[in-house]
Amino acid sequence: MVVRCEDVWREISNYVEGDLDPALKRAMEEHFAECPRCESVRDGMRNVIELYGDKTMFTLPASFHPRLHGRLADRIEGRRGSSLGWLLGVAATAAFAALTLLASVHDHSLPQPRAQMSQPARRLPQRLVAVVDGGKTFHVPGCPFMHGKYHMVTAEEAVREGYAPCSRCMYEALRSAGYVTPDFEGEEVASSETAAK
Amino acid sequence: MGTSRPDPGHEHEATLIGRIQRGERELFYELIQPYEKRVFVIAFMILRNEADAEDAAQDAFLKAFKHLAQFRAESRFSTWLIQVAINEARLRQRKSHLQIMRSIEDQENEDGTYTPRDFADWREIPSEALERKEVREKLIAALASLAQKYRDVFVLRDVEHMNIEDTAEALGISAGAVKTRLLRARLMLRDLLSPGLDGVLAGHSQMPKGTKPWS
Repeated sequence: MVVRCEDVWREISNYVEGDLDPALKRAMEEHFAECPRCESVRDGMRNVIELYGDKTMFTLPASFHPRLHGRLADRIEGRRGSSLGWLLGVAATAAFAALTLLASVHDHSLPQPRAQMSQPARRLPQRLVAVVDGGKTFHVPGCPFMHGKYHMVTAEEAVREGYAPCSRCMYEALRSAGYVTPDFEGEEVASSETAAK
Repeated sequence: MGTSRPDPGHEHEATLIGRIQRGERELFYELIQPYEKRVFVIAFMILRNEADAEDAAQDAFLKAFKHLAQFRAESRFSTWLIQVAINEARLRQRKSHLQIMRSIEDQENEDGTYTPRDFADWREIPSEALERKEVREKLIAALASLAQKYRDVFVLRDVEHMNIEDTAEALGISAGAVKTRLLRARLMLRDLLSPGLDGVLAGHSQMPKGTKPWS
């Protein structure tokens, strides 16, 4: 196989990456041995790839990292709420409604909360709620009064462990599901959970 | 070239994303840490301005966090993140006059054989030369002078070492178009930097047809 300079220029990018048919590769190497112009193109292209691919070629501006984290912090750490949290909240509320309906049909046993403040309703459904680390209340995920890192437990577990329902989100959730009596008393969000607002 | 490279971090990323979606939001920092520089460089080579690129990168990460629930595990997180970053940078670009330049550049026909201009003996530019700020600036200026569609491909493939398939997916073009544009980008850069280190340091650059000087 004999290749011309135009053939070399068309395939040289594939050549330097080793992505060529062996016969064409051999033909191009024979061409390079005889054509200093194409050899110069090949050497230059290899050098270009090597230089721009060097990790020192581009550097981040000074203090890029802390500035980025500063902008992300409010959103990620939930100080101003987030759409992700909102979406989770909507999803959790929908799931909550469905589960409570199921619970009303299949489960009439009542969990026995230990904490005095943890008896918000006559009947506490088996569902997942969010408990903020270091806090004292449990919430529907995405509740605007919930701040900081949280984990999910069932409502029954939350009550058993002494957490009280958030007087805002849980009241609405329980009331909308028909599980709240007029004497419902939730817990105001603890100061440690509101401090970050 | 052309095959997907193994991604040992893929499973770890999938685990992280699942935990973030379940509420461990602080893990987002860990998830994006390997891509901070990549997102910035991509935004920088679209906007060609460091301050704008940093703003665009920050907005891209915020959007990625906001829309993480929409991320589908069958995609690579890195590719999805790059798409978010490109969209964010282009959104900013549309608000500036740069869009006019880009529209003109992108009309260039990429069919046909590109003819290298300078056949002088290539004088090797050693990697150590990158320690010199002036050399890096010249190289960046040369890359910035290419039309947008060539810059995009070159940055993802040769600067960020993404494979052909991921580059094509991130840019929404075919693998064939990636290869064609990559060939042109490499040849044009070689022409711009010819005949090597001496040409770079002397500020010698012969703009091939279709490229625009960039200050």
